[in-house]
Amino acid sequence: MSPTIWFLLVVSQLALVVGQIYLKRAMSRRELGEEKARGWMGILVAGIAAMTVWFLLWLGVMSRIDLSKLMPLEGISPLFIVLGATVFLHERLNWRGWAGVVLTCIGVLLVSAS
Amino acid sequence: MHDQLAAAALPKPAPGFFWNPFFQIFLAVILTAAAQILLKVGASGSATDHSAWSLLGVSELGDGWTWLGILAFVASFGSWLYALRFLPLGLAFSLTNGVHIFVPLGSWYFLHEHISLLRASGILLIIIGILFLAQSVAKAEEKV
Repeated sequence: MSPTIWFLLVVSQLALVVGQIYLKRAMSRRELGEEKARGWMGILVAGIAAMTVWFLLWLGVMSRIDLSKLMPLEGISPLFIVLGATVFLHERLNWRGWAGVVLTCIGVLLVSAS
Repeated sequence: MHDQLAAAALPKPAPGFFWNPFFQIFLAVILTAAAQILLKVGASGSATDHSAWSLLGVSELGDGWTWLGILAFVASFGSWLYALRFLPLGLAFSLTNGVHIFVPLGSWYFLHEHISLLRASGILLIIIGILFLAQSVAKAEEKV
């Protein structure tokens, strides 16, 4: 893979994490109701914008390299999301949650390696 | 302020199987799998185009399959946003790894592709992982 592809992959993953955090934040704020919920649409639009960046970069990369080479990255992207949610949304997973995250990631790596 | 948002109690979903946030994640996963395949079909059409537009994914937009894929993505997005109302992001996103169970199983059932031992063990690990994730929610809800 060329440096350009790597760069696009890193930017796309960043856009994915930022986008998902904004989406979650928008949906959480929406639940607060009335006054407190104000501005949730703006956050949602920001999240959709970041996801659009991710989507277009992903599409561009996908036309250059095989899906099978991209799948391992797909497998570990939940780890980035979980870390982002821990830092920025203060989400806490219990040990079962962490075990689930790690097992599914290893499982995806095995599926895509075969 | 963000602490307050994160600490806000998660709301209860509407009754009924369809409105269960886990079912909505399942729907989102199935639609995403369909979208990925459709997008690959669309993207393959522009693989010989090496312009900057193609690298940014714009020239793929001329293909009908790409648009069908986008439609499936939009539908899965609706299910995803719904699920996010009720579930923590990290957990919900990890559950979407379920897509890697359905793609090989679908290829085996519909396309008669062989599933190697390595792949089968990967699928098994994902299933066990998802069971752990589901359990972690159940335990967290018990404590509330």
